[in-house]
Amino acid sequence: MATHALNPAVVPAYRGRLYEWLTTTDHKKIGILYVINSFLMFFIGGVLALVVRTELAQPGLQIFEGNELGYNEMFSIHATVMIFLFIIPMLAGLGNYVVPLMIGAPDMAFPRINALSFWMLPLGAILLLMGFFVPGGAAAAGWTSYPPLTERLELSAPGAGQDLWIVSLVLIGTSSILGGINFLVTIFKMRAPGMTLFRMPIMVWTVLVFSVLVVMATPVFTSALVMLFIDRNYGGTFFLPPQGQAVLYQNIFWFYSHPAVYVMVLPAMGVISEVLPVFSRKPLFGYKAFIFATAGIGALGFTVWAHHMFTTGAVFLPFFSLMTAAIGVPTGVKMFNWVFTMFRGQLTFSTPLIFAIGFLTMFLIGGINGVFSAAVPVDFALHDTYWVVAHLHYVLFGGSVFGVFAGIYYWFPKMSGRMLDEGLGKIHFWLMFIGFNLTFFPMHMLGIKGMPRRIADYASDAGWNDWNLAATIGGFMIGISMLPFLWNVFVSLRNGKIAGDDPWEGNTLEWATSSPPPPYNFDRLPEIRSERPLFDARHGLVDPHATAPIPPSIAAGEDSHPSIPGPKA
Amino acid sequence: MTAETTAIQTHRAAGAAHGGVGVHAGRGVSNVILGMVLFITSEVMFFSGLFAAYFATRFAGPNQPWPPEAFSHVLDPLSLILVATIILILSSFTCQFAVWSIRKGDRRGFIRNIGFTFVLGIIFLVLQAVDYSILFGEGMTLGSGPFGTTYYTLTGFHGAHVFGGVLMLGVVLYRGMSGQFSAKHHDAVEAVSLYWHFVDVVWILLFSILYLL
Amino acid sequence: MSTSPRKRPASSALVAGGGVVLLIAIVLLVLWLPTGDALYPPEPATEQARSIDSLYNIVFALAVVVFLVVEGLIVWSILRYRRRPEDVDLPPQTHGNNLVEALWTLIPTVIVIYLFIVSYSTLAHVDAVSPDPAVRVNALAGQFQWQFQYLDKDGKVVATQTRAGGDSGGMVVPVGEKVYVTLESHDVIHAWYVPRFLFKRDVVPGQQNHFEFTVPPEEAGQVFHGQCAELCGSGHRIMLFDVTAMTRADYDAWLANLVAEANATPPPPPSGAPVQTVVAKDIAYDKLELTTPADAPFVIDFKNEDAASITHDIDIKDSGGQVVADHDPIPGGQEAQYTFEPLAAGTYTYFCSIHPSVPNMNGTLTVQ
Repeated sequence: MATHALNPAVVPAYRGRLYEWLTTTDHKKIGILYVINSFLMFFIGGVLALVVRTELAQPGLQIFEGNELGYNEMFSIHATVMIFLFIIPMLAGLGNYVVPLMIGAPDMAFPRINALSFWMLPLGAILLLMGFFVPGGAAAAGWTSYPPLTERLELSAPGAGQDLWIVSLVLIGTSSILGGINFLVTIFKMRAPGMTLFRMPIMVWTVLVFSVLVVMATPVFTSALVMLFIDRNYGGTFFLPPQGQAVLYQNIFWFYSHPAVYVMVLPAMGVISEVLPVFSRKPLFGYKAFIFATAGIGALGFTVWAHHMFTTGAVFLPFFSLMTAAIGVPTGVKMFNWVFTMFRGQLTFSTPLIFAIGFLTMFLIGGINGVFSAAVPVDFALHDTYWVVAHLHYVLFGGSVFGVFAGIYYWFPKMSGRMLDEGLGKIHFWLMFIGFNLTFFPMHMLGIKGMPRRIADYASDAGWNDWNLAATIGGFMIGISMLPFLWNVFVSLRNGKIAGDDPWEGNTLEWATSSPPPPYNFDRLPEIRSERPLFDARHGLVDPHATAPIPPSIAAGEDSHPSIPGPKA
Repeated sequence: MTAETTAIQTHRAAGAAHGGVGVHAGRGVSNVILGMVLFITSEVMFFSGLFAAYFATRFAGPNQPWPPEAFSHVLDPLSLILVATIILILSSFTCQFAVWSIRKGDRRGFIRNIGFTFVLGIIFLVLQAVDYSILFGEGMTLGSGPFGTTYYTLTGFHGAHVFGGVLMLGVVLYRGMSGQFSAKHHDAVEAVSLYWHFVDVVWILLFSILYLL
Repeated sequence: MSTSPRKRPASSALVAGGGVVLLIAIVLLVLWLPTGDALYPPEPATEQARSIDSLYNIVFALAVVVFLVVEGLIVWSILRYRRRPEDVDLPPQTHGNNLVEALWTLIPTVIVIYLFIVSYSTLAHVDAVSPDPAVRVNALAGQFQWQFQYLDKDGKVVATQTRAGGDSGGMVVPVGEKVYVTLESHDVIHAWYVPRFLFKRDVVPGQQNHFEFTVPPEEAGQVFHGQCAELCGSGHRIMLFDVTAMTRADYDAWLANLVAEANATPPPPPSGAPVQTVVAKDIAYDKLELTTPADAPFVIDFKNEDAASITHDIDIKDSGGQVVADHDPIPGGQEAQYTFEPLAAGTYTYFCSIHPSVPNMNGTLTVQ
């Protein structure tokens, strides 16, 4: 029966908990699997980053003496893992968990495809990391893998590692596309009665735009990957000069990868937009303006790809410069909306809010230092230096990762039924915040003074020693900051304070059900008359138990046999 | 148990009270069809990437002979490939007939038409394989310069999509024969037909660009 | 819903105001202190770099102002609007304000347009090339070395500088004159980057990029370090080069010397020294084992059969990693006769200094 998959309570006992998790199609379990898998990848990517930082702590080759390609493998796989196996899946995972809850749906539109999307990720990760164990080593041409460095040339990437990289990314990309389609159908088709588009939580809106970007942009990247694969293995000439064009790959790659930057940050913005109002006891300032800004970022995101290529000499500079600067405007609108949400509120400094404020501050710097590169001549100086490394980490770590942690601290009670410890959470925040700035702020100085990216060593008289040492110390501090977090999760899962349905006085529907929610999500839904249904219900503006939810089997869109949910054990 | 049953009844009443707004089953296109439309969107973007690469390669140099002299005669539109093209276009029609049949509840007409489509799809694949072997005989491979690379990449990925479409048709045919579709329940058929039309449109584009342009 | 504008104690406004003032003070202090220099580009060394530098300053000033305004608002909000135990009633539920939304859309738009205009006018200067540059240089990038070909007015190569840096001066240019550089690669993408020029440009195979620069006269005698800025493989970081600025007279003398060197016949090898042949092709030596007598000079006839952009040489290091013999690399298609000083008995490694990390370019030299 269809309901078995959706209602693990009726699964016979002999199947056990592991089997249940491995075969689940429940969006909440899949969401948690995403999160766990992403943290595992965060750990692997983090270790690789620390190896890189250790090598760079002092001039001279300490780890990669005689094996400099090994260094290139480290940063290439670090970035690939962090981007494709940590940030994007982590945000997809949070979305997976909360989006159906937020719109009052019993599950995603296609639960089994949802499970498939997830399980492609560990497979992709294994393929990618297998590169370290094949002759020639893992992919070593950066996460961008520009040809001809990835072409079939003697000094390029002859090993199987690069091919594994390609195959793994095709797999991960397919997972993203299926996930994106699933989100879009869920958001368009599965909303509870009363949940109009302009009453959806901002988190859902950002996942919507995230999904549009994924569905539109990722396949273009896949096309670049398959062409690269054909070039490498079947004598193709797409990107191999003189017959092919090296810059063609960059155009196709960035046509995907620039929107992908917004893919990597939009849902984190969504998290912030949920956390700030709840802990300020105010609605989000300028809800509709925020939605239009999000859509604007999504649309403009497709017009700025070539700003990664200002120095190639093959780009129409004025257009891309103008567009790149223009995309700062909707981002600025969001920033002001967030700040004015706190303005005149009543702020409770729980860990989610602290991480959200960390996001605001770091993302502000990440936005501002990006404007330098939008001014094309300044980009001539900054491109491919550590400045860019600083910029992207301020956006993707200072932005997305702080947003992710805000979300983890915010929704952990919903996921587990227990609260995380506030004290440990604050220790985690301050260690990470200080470590982060110590690592990445000095990279501005390194970049502007001329240290290029992706070098294993530098001259000891170049004046880069102190900043590099500082960055390495900061890097280890970030690593250490994970210990209180892990301990917090470990302890709180057992002994944490019982959360109850709605520990934060939330605004959105996920707080209208139990913690953790039942397999079909809701017994009852409040009437939805605004973007804050739970706020309205709490303050007596609407009937808190107006609507019964949709039975899972109907909502899951199984077109054959509508049936009634099985009895609860 | 009883409470839940009541809940569902309440929900249905509520759904009726809302005039159906927000009730999933009755609103617009079905999940499956919307999902397929979005999937096709992503496929369009995939082929856009390949086409972009094709045009960028073909029009890279001002004096690049296209096709190169060695292969100037191999891509003749008035050959086997024309037959394949007609067959694929024909299959789009039979596919649509199948959809119309099942919408009217005509199961036999549906099975007949989807069967035709399935067979035509296979014939197209066979013809493409024959065409490839002819081209290989002429010495044209993936590795013979930009011309060969782009030709085989574009047609190859299209062929793979036709293969995928044939598999889907096979599933739909099997399910149809075991009586799983009716005038009311045939979203899978609609979705597969959309996909099949998409594959057909891509081929028409490919044929026009590779053989005629 | 009951909301009441609550009376906040004046002290929290003081704290918040103090926080904002402190923030501004810290930022200004950092900028004013010597360490603040770290946030500015190095001393610009070309006319183009000077205009990039002033553009940087404009962007930087705007960045500081925007940072202080937004961060000031954040600091103010978090210090001023902390929830207190007596805050039972909700704060005013402000849903938004179209006027301020319009305002903070408009102001960034104006800033952005202004930035676009100034950067575009700077770009016009930086990217300008003149029809009659004083010096034309082809910068030829190959894995992992730079060569600089000097061209005459007709575009013919008059001399090639194969030593990218060090005592040879690398790429030498006259001050006060327009230097036109063409970038060329035949393998992968590299990038020509000199930090003090505040400039880089990719060297893309299958595509020629050009740019022009003028080093002002007061920089005569200066050496500017540069390096490849686009990941180009295992030897990416060793693709260093120097640009040396000279007065016109010094430059002419230097170029004449380079031409003369190229035409000079190499000194004959010491008579009686054993001669061996090594060929480099496809980034690999044809022999990975050599043997030579101890305490006697020896000669290697070295042929580079790779593409012209790929340079090779044969250097020797002892078992401790100390380089004991260092020769100038030769571009592809050329050959050279390397004479080596006597070595003590033992096992050495001979390697290509351009490709030290390529296994097939590291051989074992047995001296016995």
